[in-house]
Amino acid sequence: MAEAGGRKYNFKVVLLGEGCVGKTSLVLRYVENKFNDKHITTLQASFLNKKLNVGGKRVNLAIWDTAGQERFHALGPIYYRDSNGAILVYDITDEDSFQKVKNWVRELRRMLGQDVTLCIVGNKTDLEKDRHVPVQEAEAYAASVNAKHFHSSAKLNRGIEELFLDLSKGMIEKSDGTMGRGGRTGSNRRNVVVVDDDQQQQAKTGGCCG
Amino acid sequence: MTANVATAGKKNKFHIEENDLLCKNGCGFYGNPAWQNFCSKCYREVYQPARQAQLQHDALQEAKKLEPADKPGDSKPSFSKFEVKKTQQANKRANTVKSIFRKTPTKDSASSSSPSAPKESRRSSLESQKVGGEFAEFLKTLRKPPALEVSKVVRAFVERIQHNVDIPVDELSEMVQDFYQNLGDKMATQTVFKGLSQEVQDKILDYAERYVLTRLYRCLFCPMTTADEEKDLAVQNRIRGLHWITAQQLDLVINDTDPVIRQELDTAITDIIEMDSKRATQDKLACIVNCSKRIFHILKESKGAPASADEFLPALIFVVLKANPPLLQSNIQYITRFANPSRLMSGEAGYYFTNLCCAVAFIENINAESLSLSVAEYDRYMSGEATPPGSSGEHICEGLRLMQHNLNSLTDLKQRQERVMAEALQLQQDMKDFSQNFNKEIADVLQRTPLTIRPRKVKVDLDAEVSDSCEANLPSPLQPLPCGGVATGTAVSVAMNADTTAPNVVDPSSAPLRDPEGSSPLPPTLPSPLKPQPFTAESSPVITVSDASPTHIDVDIMGEQGMAAERGEEKMDTVEQRSAEKEGHGENQESVMQDAPSGL
Repeated sequence: MAEAGGRKYNFKVVLLGEGCVGKTSLVLRYVENKFNDKHITTLQASFLNKKLNVGGKRVNLAIWDTAGQERFHALGPIYYRDSNGAILVYDITDEDSFQKVKNWVRELRRMLGQDVTLCIVGNKTDLEKDRHVPVQEAEAYAASVNAKHFHSSAKLNRGIEELFLDLSKGMIEKSDGTMGRGGRTGSNRRNVVVVDDDQQQQAKTGGCCG
Repeated sequence: MTANVATAGKKNKFHIEENDLLCKNGCGFYGNPAWQNFCSKCYREVYQPARQAQLQHDALQEAKKLEPADKPGDSKPSFSKFEVKKTQQANKRANTVKSIFRKTPTKDSASSSSPSAPKESRRSSLESQKVGGEFAEFLKTLRKPPALEVSKVVRAFVERIQHNVDIPVDELSEMVQDFYQNLGDKMATQTVFKGLSQEVQDKILDYAERYVLTRLYRCLFCPMTTADEEKDLAVQNRIRGLHWITAQQLDLVINDTDPVIRQELDTAITDIIEMDSKRATQDKLACIVNCSKRIFHILKESKGAPASADEFLPALIFVVLKANPPLLQSNIQYITRFANPSRLMSGEAGYYFTNLCCAVAFIENINAESLSLSVAEYDRYMSGEATPPGSSGEHICEGLRLMQHNLNSLTDLKQRQERVMAEALQLQQDMKDFSQNFNKEIADVLQRTPLTIRPRKVKVDLDAEVSDSCEANLPSPLQPLPCGGVATGTAVSVAMNADTTAPNVVDPSSAPLRDPEGSSPLPPTLPSPLKPQPFTAESSPVITVSDASPTHIDVDIMGEQGMAAERGEEKMDTVEQRSAEKEGHGENQESVMQDAPSGL
């Protein structure tokens, strides 16, 4: 298998978080750069692909949205099985959603160990005045579980590019570290690697922010 | 697809010689391909002994195999079923080993292997034939060495699996996965495959997976060594028990009374049911993807924005509940075990498949809490004692739905009919009122101004009348007024006269014409314009008529002009006379004007 710079990374990223914290807006903003519902052309916002280029490495993110309702909480493991990264979103105006994130983190660490790259995201920073989750608390918690912490606003398009870029870097590191382990992953990669060359070219010229 | 090919095949062979249809034995009856082109009788004669022997042999084999296969802890389906299935598998194994050789894509390998399998074997299913054909077609497009290599590897693998159908399914899964892995590795490393693009390699892997799984479907799908069948039944019963769940209970916002959405929903249900009829994991996944896409479409229609997982999962659960797809658990297990993991790990299909797994997991564990119902309510619904509100209009059969639709349109029509009736009555009333009002108005008008039509009379002496008539309205310009007192007196009397006559006259302008005719005795009160001044009223009418010229009549009403003419004719006037005339004239006109409106 070619280990050179031409290698492509395929990552599965799950998006976890309570309903209404803005998971969908976040990912739509990132992939389509749209916030308002009216202009979005995609039929669905639950499974999205994003190609980017991180330091010359081609990365393909498959972003899996999950149902955030409490009643579907038990289904989490089915969703995040085999995922390389997880984005845990909470609403900075909602203390409860932050507690949910803590639950998710515990579960993910238990099920996937340290193989998964975690990002905790405080969304809706445009509503800073209504903040209910203290910044220090959130950042301290993220550090304690070996996760990155970000603030974002899907409405104002703040902090989203950074979030995904950083997550990708984290996943690339982990992937390079664990390369050669797990015999079957090789074939996955090869098969999924079918990528449109033109699009890759574009991604290169446009940088990671596409 | 298969159906298309099958019909196409039939079409090609549509014209068949009758001889071909007859029994091979030449007994005169028609033969049947299922009986090796014998008629039923000859076939029995020829093949029955052989079949008997085979059956006995199989039974013996079964007896030997039973002990190791019937492990404790495994599912315990009824024994007869088990035996039937085993026989099928054994037969299949014996036959397919040969048929794979027959179908080898490259001629070299076929010729080398076919001599070893000359025996007549059962035909492989239509699906396998088709997929095998496609695979062969694809390999033909490649150079020979890699094509040969691929076909060798695939053939060896199919054979290996067929020799090991009885091992636990997990090991089978392991073998299949290893096969994908090895084939992939081979293509990446071996020199034979050098020069093949990544795309072609992926295609080879794809075809290989499709072919292998289609060929081995019977031994890989829902194998006897697993409890998949029981799980299928459990899920099916579970879904049946949950028939009462409504979209609202799942917090699903779809307007399922809308016929368009209804249609889409039905298509989605059909898609998910269709999954069971496909063999290759790709095709099964394609069904799931189609179903999911439809659901997203429905959600977008209902909500007007792209749906997120928060809406999609409940919708998928709803569709699965309404569809109750056959062998759901078996299909999911089959895909999980034998699909190329890359497909499940990422990619759209993998995502939707994961969601389907979630939906099934949710359905299995559904309880009062997850539907936000009280336990008592949930139990009542589950036991069928009660149905939740709104569920009656939910997913009912087509006939009832149609009936409901028709009832709705009938109610609508009835309302419209009633409205039309009410409006018609209103219109009738209006018309009645109108005619009454109209009549009343006419009566009023008539009362106010009764119309009296005078009998027309024959003209007698036009000149005379005319002159008279003009005099009726106009004080004579010729009237000499020697003394103011008398003159003013006559002028007033003229005005009074005009007053009294006016009401009877419809057209005041024509009045002067008619008047004289009608009332032959000219009103004694009319002062004659031509009268020499001091005359009394009584003597006036007869005298001066002849003096007036016809032109006089035409113009006199115009006032000034007429007067000018008169002035020219009658020189005897004095200045005083004129001023008096004017006075009189003005008065007279005024009175006529006053009367005119009532006349109209």
